[in-house]
Amino acid sequence: MHACTLGLLFFMLLIPAAGGSAAETPGQYELLARATRLVQQDRLDEAVAVFRMVPAPLPGEEAGIFVRSRMEAAKILLSRKDYQASSGLCHEILALLPDNLEARNLLGEIQSAQTPRWLKFIKDLKIFLPTLVKATGMTLVLVLITMLISPLGGLIIALGRISRLQVLSGFFWCYIWIFRGTPLLLQLFFIYYGLPSMGITLDPFPAAVLGLGLNYSAYLAEIMRGAIESIDAGQMEAAKSLGMTYWQSMRRIIIPQTYKRLVPPVGNEFIALIKDTALVSTIAMVELMRAANQIYSATFNVFVLFQAALVYLVLTSIFTVSFRKLEDRLGVYENR
Amino acid sequence: MIDLQGVLKRFGSLTAVDRVDLSIHEGERIVIIGPSGSGKTTLLRMINFLETIDGGKILIDGREAGYRRDRRGRLVLEKQQVICSLRSEIGMVFQHFHLFPHMTVLQNVMEGPVTVKRQPKEEARAIALDLLGKVGLLDKRDVYPAFLSGGQKQRVAIARSLAMRPRLMLFDEPTSALDPELVGEVFSAIKSLAAEGMTMVIVTHQMGFAREMADRVIFMDNGRFIYEGTPSEVFSGTMDNPRVRAFMDKVL
Repeated sequence: MHACTLGLLFFMLLIPAAGGSAAETPGQYELLARATRLVQQDRLDEAVAVFRMVPAPLPGEEAGIFVRSRMEAAKILLSRKDYQASSGLCHEILALLPDNLEARNLLGEIQSAQTPRWLKFIKDLKIFLPTLVKATGMTLVLVLITMLISPLGGLIIALGRISRLQVLSGFFWCYIWIFRGTPLLLQLFFIYYGLPSMGITLDPFPAAVLGLGLNYSAYLAEIMRGAIESIDAGQMEAAKSLGMTYWQSMRRIIIPQTYKRLVPPVGNEFIALIKDTALVSTIAMVELMRAANQIYSATFNVFVLFQAALVYLVLTSIFTVSFRKLEDRLGVYENR
Repeated sequence: MIDLQGVLKRFGSLTAVDRVDLSIHEGERIVIIGPSGSGKTTLLRMINFLETIDGGKILIDGREAGYRRDRRGRLVLEKQQVICSLRSEIGMVFQHFHLFPHMTVLQNVMEGPVTVKRQPKEEARAIALDLLGKVGLLDKRDVYPAFLSGGQKQRVAIARSLAMRPRLMLFDEPTSALDPELVGEVFSAIKSLAAEGMTMVIVTHQMGFAREMADRVIFMDNGRFIYEGTPSEVFSGTMDNPRVRAFMDKVL
């Protein structure tokens, strides 16, 4: 309020001066210098008024001072959220010099400052969405293939682990020891960057599938072994007493009883898997994480990271709910 | 039918079954009694090879069965295939039933014939329904075991064993895990089986049942047969063996 009054006073003082003879009219350099001083003193309203007093150049005259004064005033007005006045000044410049880049850029800034955040978010989403959707598809393909491979691998390893043959159980013990004991990232690096030195070169996709499959088989194997060993020993005896072989007992009696017990821990693993697929972005696979990262690097727009996070959340939520339902369905034979 | 000759079983330093001879004849009903830890269950499990023997031999129809000797002369179990086909002719009923919880009652009873004997499903189903009718559980055929009482579970377990058409039935304390009021229904199922002439070996702590069922009663202690005789000899007051006497005084 105070600054406003001061500005008005200033104006009134200036008007008679401006109305004086041409010789007494302050030159454009003087006005610019005065306004700059006011800016330094933080008297911005007065500064804008003085900037505006710089006259438009006559045809053939140098336009530099005029453009500069209008730009400075427009920037001050923009910082005060006076979008209309600010863009008015830009248009004054453009009327004189239609190709002035500075004024055009400022107009763009004014426009984007006027659009609400959520509108901007949607606009960005529209731009990034096709890329993200495609990348999500790749993430899902990786998850689904690993979900098919690893239970099979896990079962073979689990049965090997509980085998009475020392060689077999020892071998699979080593397998689990290595694949659970080292980072998945390192395993992926080894498969993609390390194997070529042994003459095995894999494309990113098979390398990613192999890495995830081997790693998750090891984890699922231990879960399955635990589940098989948790089944009452009497079940195996009852099966044997009917004359069943070891494999018949396993296939018909023991393994089916592990299904329900397997769902919660395996569901956990598969949810971890969704997130672990992000690691294959390091071996040149374009999946959700890498796509988001690429868009971010190109635009420095943080929203793309939020969008990627949202997709991961949606996927993990779907898994959580489906595994819960599956567990209930597999438990129909229980009296609860 | 089956002869055990000098069978021996050791668990570490403990001798669970100590050179026992037992002949089981066609149609005979043998009841084994004795204190817990005396080796009754181990002996029973030897008959269907769930427990391996460390010495002695097992003869089926007069021929040695189930074991061969390795190069160092130790007894080793025959190949799985052989053992499985021997077991398929011997039924066993367990103290804790061990029904397959993920299968309905009907599926439990059909499982042996379908998986082991590769019988057509329809045939196995007919046999199973017939047996479920005999043990009085036809109406429970589509129920899962978890929804049955202990007595009903044990009757299903009996039907499951019988579906394999065994020559011999082994009962390992079939009523020990049951509430007292449910014991009767299991006993009557076993009795009606006896009436059909089934050969059976029963381990039990129910003396009344032992007396009623047995052709021959065996009293076991510390892995040995202490006394063998008819029910009337064992359960009459004139028993002169002090250990049997002491046991009887406790349980009766």
